[in-house]
Amino acid sequence: MAEVEKQPSLSAQEGGRGECGEEPSDGGAAVGVAEPAPPSAGSPVTEEPAEDTKKKIDILLKAVGDTPIMKTKKWAVERTRTIQGLIDFIKKFLKLVASEQLFIYVNQSFAPSPDQEVGTLYECFGSDGKLVLHYCKSQAWG
Amino acid sequence: MSLSLAAEDSFSLEESRFKQCCAEFIKHSQQIGDGWEWRSIKDSADGYMSKTQFQMKNGNTPSILRDSTKESDEQTLTHVEEALDDSQVAETCETSEVIRYEYHVLHSSSYQVPVLYFRACFLDGRLLTLDEIWEGIHECYQARLLEGPWDTITQQEHPLLGQPFFILHPCRTNEFMAPVLANSRRENRSINYIASWLSIVGPVVGLSLPLSYAKLVSEQNTEAD
Repeated sequence: MAEVEKQPSLSAQEGGRGECGEEPSDGGAAVGVAEPAPPSAGSPVTEEPAEDTKKKIDILLKAVGDTPIMKTKKWAVERTRTIQGLIDFIKKFLKLVASEQLFIYVNQSFAPSPDQEVGTLYECFGSDGKLVLHYCKSQAWG
Repeated sequence: MSLSLAAEDSFSLEESRFKQCCAEFIKHSQQIGDGWEWRSIKDSADGYMSKTQFQMKNGNTPSILRDSTKESDEQTLTHVEEALDDSQVAETCETSEVIRYEYHVLHSSSYQVPVLYFRACFLDGRLLTLDEIWEGIHECYQARLLEGPWDTITQQEHPLLGQPFFILHPCRTNEFMAPVLANSRRENRSINYIASWLSIVGPVVGLSLPLSYAKLVSEQNTEAD
């Protein structure tokens, strides 16, 4: 699967690359992400050439508190991916157990609704070509 | 980097700061037309924030009554397909399907945190049961809630109104607020506790905050260490 992966709509970036390049992720963690039926479910994410940044946005994930830090912090994510989809992905990536809740914040303090799309968040809070999101694990409802 | 109890205590929200955060929150709400208002108890300094909103039983907001910042256009219009205009909404939708949610934000002096009180009723006044409320809760939180519902949603008498409400129990609020507050302190950024807190707990009971609240910061710095 040298071309853009069929399944995952998240692809990792390494290092300080400014462009939204598509690369296989570190531990293959992006594969097998359970898609929570995104609105544009009909169209697969396969066709984008590497330089096409229109459909994906760059996200930088930062851990808060004693939440494990992700080995890969930079991701190229479809604009229509919801916060809940991202949460599910990070939980799987970090291998959190079911009783652990994960929260994502913009501006380091505000949790967008689970159905909020990252593309919208990028429009509102993105800067320097990326959206910084903080994530924090908590057993809030346990 | 786990926080000691002492550190957690220092993140408590005492009443004066609660009121201050609420005032800023409501000011922003007025600017964007989000519907929050302050209700004070006469002859008393006590008060709380209040908001009422309407939703369809399946969890969607009736498109006519919807907050304009909500995004699920297609989905909502599909479910309210018979609603032709404002005046016909009440007639064409079965009255049993439109639910009136009431949200109150009070201060808990025992836990020193804010608490979310809520109740829901149909248009004919019939209160929803807890099960019926859960049906309207965002599915991504349902799994978590169902694992320990009685620990998280309980019924209590509203301390100021004396009527039964459901509350999201405040005992763990400090747990999930502490990392956010510690982070803001570390980064020397002031935040609005109420906006942060409500953005986290709100969706659990069907309440979401427009994104513009994310840019709300306290006018004053957080309490000195």
